Amino acid sequence: MCRLSVLLGALLSLMRVAAFGADSADLPLGPMQAKVKTACLECHDSRIIVQQRLTQIAWTKEVDKMIKWGAVVDPDDREAFIGYLSANFPADKEPYVAPRMTKKKQGR
Amino acid sequence: MISRREFVLGASAAIGVVGAVRPLLGWVTDESVAIPGKDGMIVRSFRFLDLEMPVEYANSFLTPVEHFFVRNHMHEPSTLDAGEWRLNISGEVEKPLTLTLAELTEMEQRSVTNTLECAGNGRAFAIPHVPGVQWEKGAVGTARFSGPRLRDVLERAGVRSTGKHVMLRGLDEVPGKVPAFIRSIPIEKATDGDTLVALHMNGAALTRHHGFPARALVPGWIGAASCKWLTEIKVLDKEFEGNFMNPGYRMPNQPVKPGDAVKVEDTHPATALNVKSLIATPSGGASLKSRAVDIRGVAWAGEANIEKVDVSTDSGATWQQAQLGKDRSHYAWRLWSYSWKAPKPGDYTIVSRATDTQGRVQPDSVQWNPSGYLINVTDRVKIRVQA
Repeated sequence: MCRLSVLLGALLSLMRVAAFGADSADLPLGPMQAKVKTACLECHDSRIIVQQRLTQIAWTKEVDKMIKWGAVVDPDDREAFIGYLSANFPADKEPYVAPRMTKKKQGR
Repeated sequence: MISRREFVLGASAAIGVVGAVRPLLGWVTDESVAIPGKDGMIVRSFRFLDLEMPVEYANSFLTPVEHFFVRNHMHEPSTLDAGEWRLNISGEVEKPLTLTLAELTEMEQRSVTNTLECAGNGRAFAIPHVPGVQWEKGAVGTARFSGPRLRDVLERAGVRSTGKHVMLRGLDEVPGKVPAFIRSIPIEKATDGDTLVALHMNGAALTRHHGFPARALVPGWIGAASCKWLTEIKVLDKEFEGNFMNPGYRMPNQPVKPGDAVKVEDTHPATALNVKSLIATPSGGASLKSRAVDIRGVAWAGEANIEKVDVSTDSGATWQQAQLGKDRSHYAWRLWSYSWKAPKPGDYTIVSRATDTQGRVQPDSVQWNPSGYLINVTDRVKIRVQA
């Protein structure tokens, strides 16, 4: 049982790394990138972040709401966290273009 | 064809042992992904799953399920056994009861063709931008929903005179400390003969993404009212007090200037949908070889009906009335069309503007509000006519 738990834990850790790594292209590099991934991607797909275009005030409200809802952000990191999101996804940035699923071939 | 891959944990046994890893299920690593039962959708988010219908699919009275938008606030139920599923009815009732899917199926079935639209459809057009899923035009679709009337279900339990609101709770799996997705509707709407416990969508059992095995169908109202994976109905003596009723899904009592803050006491719950139209074809940015242009789209008005749709081919300077389609049903959109011959090659802006039976007309600018709800600005597409 113990061995199974260890193996399972290792598998899940690998999955987490793989999943986060595969998505890292969406979140710009920066000192806070890793921490934003850890806090946000526990529940969300990064697309919900990269499609936002918000002021610093609006990002502050969102970050505080998410902390209240369980996002793990060290209080010492809060300002930098907001700064990272505000700098990379500001209100005046060009719109995000969402991906589209491939279309089924139309057979007639 | 772009390669695709879904990050799915195969060891289902492990999921039950380590619940904390459930968020990783359904993780998708590529931009182009196959989601069973869905086709060609715009991916707003994979986790939680939010899929938008490309506007060119707004070309039929009933939207095929594979093109119907999906809006989730949290994780879909990871397991759902129709045989074990139960619907509990409690609260301000004489006789709390539990119904099985078989029992609901045996009740009198009612069908309602309804245009379902997410309250946040069009949020991407709010300036200044507001947080949330950045839906553009396609968080909307029309389907024929069938199931017993919610009224009949409530009658079995016997609603007390103190019952004023009906709380609806689904089996959404709640991450972290996020408040559960619970909403309520007034008893008058709950006992309307067209409000359903829907079991079917377009003649087939609900699919997982649309609330299998049962969802509420609150016709003419914002999609959030039509709770998916319905598991609990509770009659209350007042409106449910939870995040998704307050401060969520509320509209300012008065129009506000873009960017203004609004106190929650100056808001009310968002309920019925606005009057609205979309241009399905031609697509924005299309370059057409023929001067004969077939302009088509849809228009809907929540609890009202569409009176007319006007079309402009000169960016709103002049308007012509479109022809409405023959298919019609209360709560459902109307197809519309307008055949136009461009006077000469060039660039044109086509605009559609719907008017409903309550006299409401689509505005020509976004009616901004802090959450980007019920945005119904006239639709416009720019095209180029070559010949």
